Amino acid sequence: MRKHILAVALLLLVSTATTAQNTASISGYIKDKNTGETLISANIALMGTTRGTSSNTLGYFSLTNIQPGTYTLACSYIGFEFYEQEITLEPGERLQLEIELVPQVFEGDIIVVESEAEKERQKDIGTAQVQTELIKALPSVFEADVFRSLQLLPGVKAASDFSSGLYIRGGSPDQTLILLDRTTVYNPSHFFGFFSTFNPDAIKDVRLYKGGYPAEYGGRLGSVLSIYNKDGNRNDMQGSVTLGMLASRALIEGPIKNGSYMFAARRSTLEPLLAALRSNNDNIPSKFYFLDFNGKINYDASLNNRFNLAFYSGSDRVNFPFADDGEFSLNYGNQTLSGNWTHIFSEKLFSNFVVTGSRYFNFPEFEIAGTPFERDNNIYDFSVKADLEYLPNEKHQISTGIWSGVFTLRLQDRFDNQDSFSSRIHSRYNSFYVQDTWEPNELWRIVSGLRFNYFSDGQYLRLEPRISVEHKPSSRVRLQAAYGRYNQFLTLITNEAFSGFDVWLTSDDGVAPAYGDQFVLGAKTIPFSNYGFDAEIYYRSMNDLFELDPFLPDAAGLDYPDLFRVGNGHAYGLEMMFEKRTGRLTGFVGYTLGYTWRRFPGFNSPIFEQTSAGRYYPPKYDRRHDVNLVLTYQLSRKWKLTSAWVFATGQSYTEVLGRYAVDQPWSNDDPDVLTVGKVNASRLPDYHRLDLSFARTGTFFGLGSAEWQFQIINVYSRRNVWFYTFDFETNPITRDEITLLPIIPAVSYTVKF
Amino acid sequence: MKKIFITILLFTSLMISCDIYPQDEYEEFYVVESYLVANRQLPALKLSTTAPATEVYNFDNLGVNNATVQVFLLEGVEGTNPEQVFSYTNTAPGVYEATVQHDVLPTRTYQLNITFPNPAEEVNAFTIVPDTFSVIGGVPSSIVYQSTEQLEVTISKSSFPGRQNVYIFNTIADEPIIENLTPLYADFYEDDEDLLEDFANLSSGILNEANFDDNPDGTVTIRYPWLAVAFYGDSKIVANTIDDNIYDFVRSQSVQLGGSTLSPGEIQNVIYRMEGAIGVFGAIASDTIQTDILRPDFR
Repeated sequence: MRKHILAVALLLLVSTATTAQNTASISGYIKDKNTGETLISANIALMGTTRGTSSNTLGYFSLTNIQPGTYTLACSYIGFEFYEQEITLEPGERLQLEIELVPQVFEGDIIVVESEAEKERQKDIGTAQVQTELIKALPSVFEADVFRSLQLLPGVKAASDFSSGLYIRGGSPDQTLILLDRTTVYNPSHFFGFFSTFNPDAIKDVRLYKGGYPAEYGGRLGSVLSIYNKDGNRNDMQGSVTLGMLASRALIEGPIKNGSYMFAARRSTLEPLLAALRSNNDNIPSKFYFLDFNGKINYDASLNNRFNLAFYSGSDRVNFPFADDGEFSLNYGNQTLSGNWTHIFSEKLFSNFVVTGSRYFNFPEFEIAGTPFERDNNIYDFSVKADLEYLPNEKHQISTGIWSGVFTLRLQDRFDNQDSFSSRIHSRYNSFYVQDTWEPNELWRIVSGLRFNYFSDGQYLRLEPRISVEHKPSSRVRLQAAYGRYNQFLTLITNEAFSGFDVWLTSDDGVAPAYGDQFVLGAKTIPFSNYGFDAEIYYRSMNDLFELDPFLPDAAGLDYPDLFRVGNGHAYGLEMMFEKRTGRLTGFVGYTLGYTWRRFPGFNSPIFEQTSAGRYYPPKYDRRHDVNLVLTYQLSRKWKLTSAWVFATGQSYTEVLGRYAVDQPWSNDDPDVLTVGKVNASRLPDYHRLDLSFARTGTFFGLGSAEWQFQIINVYSRRNVWFYTFDFETNPITRDEITLLPIIPAVSYTVKF
Repeated sequence: MKKIFITILLFTSLMISCDIYPQDEYEEFYVVESYLVANRQLPALKLSTTAPATEVYNFDNLGVNNATVQVFLLEGVEGTNPEQVFSYTNTAPGVYEATVQHDVLPTRTYQLNITFPNPAEEVNAFTIVPDTFSVIGGVPSSIVYQSTEQLEVTISKSSFPGRQNVYIFNTIADEPIIENLTPLYADFYEDDEDLLEDFANLSSGILNEANFDDNPDGTVTIRYPWLAVAFYGDSKIVANTIDDNIYDFVRSQSVQLGGSTLSPGEIQNVIYRMEGAIGVFGAIASDTIQTDILRPDFR
């Protein structure tokens, strides 16, 4: 490994030393003019040439090997006005720019037409980006939510109305790497999965790699979700306060000398509702809230050295006296901290170094009839990352980096004041990647990469080749293909209905890491001006999937490999999205055709062949068809309507076919036993729901701007079915429906100052 | 552009048009139930068929008669050749009893064989009887509910081939009346009055031996949780070690309707160790103690 790193470093140094002296370069940051926030993936090009690029995740761009002369520099970014500037480059000149884009403002019927060609560059294969303004504008159950907005994208599914978990292209939530300011977040949920942890006020950028993701990332079989918090306004101090029915939040941001800061806080405000419910009902939690804090401080030591420190802290607490002499309490949450140093060696060599710390904890406690059960579950993940981007010439961009860390998992169960299960995993992980983006001409773009992963428990070394190819046969069509190998050393023990007890476990001796291949084909097109039509076909395999044996009644005394069942799976499908990007009416309609299969030994076998390899079955979240229609219509200068309509094939479930009962000598509860055929071979009724949000902007007594949001969730109160329960007290069995959310109105008020 | 669109349309139509995972129809199975207990007489065996989920299950109506039932004691611990054969006779609808007296031998393997005249079908199952154990003295004759002095039970070491011992404990109340319910169970009873009978014989579920304290003399000590006590008054506490057949049956049956990491509605058949039928042909070894659970007021 050390040899590889040295070889790449040497290559970079030699290449830098031989830079041609007669050409010029342009580099710098692209920012929001109003706030000074750097803009990620903004497009920049020299008009009339084939030279162009986009800003990286720190808002930095660089164009090198430019012939001296006069050019028109153009820059575009969604939601901002098109930017043009004439520049003249002298031989050998290294021009450094800070490009400031002006946010678009809706003004009557004036519609700004943006450069479609520039926008297309943002759409790499398998990638989706969600604007934070859309996240806030979308109707949502009580509280704007990042994950629920992502669930509207093709290829991303929700398990239920109660779960914000991301099921992407047939993968379970643990197959998505979730990064907040480059730091891994292990349990991104509030209220046991109902909401994601990310405060929409604090977020600058949300980028989802649904599949075929590049060598820069690793550690998960499926996808990567990278979220960046705002840097904070570098020009003026400003803030906002939002009062909602479930939660309220506040944000303050502003400049400091050579930098900026941002702090955001959010807390649920259910206490009055719970107090009212307690007066008439038993079994209401005595304590139930979540809160979170986000912060970021930026300091620009010089033009070439920038630092920031970002943190997140959030927790959920519940106390629930569910019976006389029976109480349940839970405290769970996440904390992240990252320190980032961006250093520009030259216009050809850009670097970023990060130190991260992430903690996830949950402490459930039951005290039932004088018998306590307690769990201490802690995950600590400390890591360092270094990434280099090198531009040897205009045709290549070489990226390389390392990510090394120490992962500690401490799980301690105590039953009746005695230790009943204890596990301490202390693992090191190291990864190294190198990637070349090669653009031989304006028609082709080839990104090839290799990633090495090492995981100390079990001494696993894995190699991951990645490649994506893009061909542009015409100005309106881009054809894309990608392949990648992915490995995963972690597995999540969770339940779709409740994420508060989540436990992560790792591969180890006798438990090999899961691995899989992904193949993606895509086409990005512009059928008409201002419209986009994208399609992708994917196939992915999942091998050595290790997950907690669901039939394990007691883990005490078992060898580590005996905790798991190991299986495989695959998923394939088609995603299409038709989008209207500009104008008074914007939005998209997305369609997904998806197939997801899993197989575990003995599971879903014919009843007399239970020692066989098992048959493939669709997990519950498998949905055959998904349609999402998201529209935003600017009704007037003050009023805006946003709607989201979702249709999905019913989820799979297992139909009960037969039954019998047994008398067990150790119990009077003679259990009913079910017989079934194939697991999950039946489908719940189709799911559909319409949500509406009306937003009205105004002023708050002349002190600042204000916005009312009036929302209706499930407008026509469709009683979608979550799952069926069976009542054995009746004979024959009766089946009851457990339904999802009914119609829910919500209102919120935001003041910005 | 048009070609791309047509290709996508054709691909989509092809994928949608076939149902590659159809739902099965109901299938009737024979159901066997019998639990061998070490050092006790061969138990009766119940034989019935399943009922469709949409129909009533009633053992009296679904019992299967006229089958030929035999239990073999096999040679050695995991032998295959019969050492003794025990024939069963059909004594009541669906109920078969051994025609000879035989005490079940611990650590030995028994085979069940059932044949049916018409149609000619056969059921086979094997069980290894767990080794016996006994509760070692010192159990108090009475103990105050939820007192700091918790009930401790020390038992001699049992064994089972290839794995640690697995236990199920149950508490049997001698006088299971409403007035004797402990507070937690009294609260549950208010919500569902049918639970009283269930509480009278309360099971712990499966517990691995590794949960208990190993003593230097080879015995293990169990702190009996107050959670397992539903009634004040005289109670029997039974410790059972179970074989693989019961272990698989109980652990898979208990999560059929949730409670594990499986998604709601994702139901799997129970894990059976039997050919030609479903149910359980299992074996246990057990011992019982008696104690009086006193109300806290008696302190």
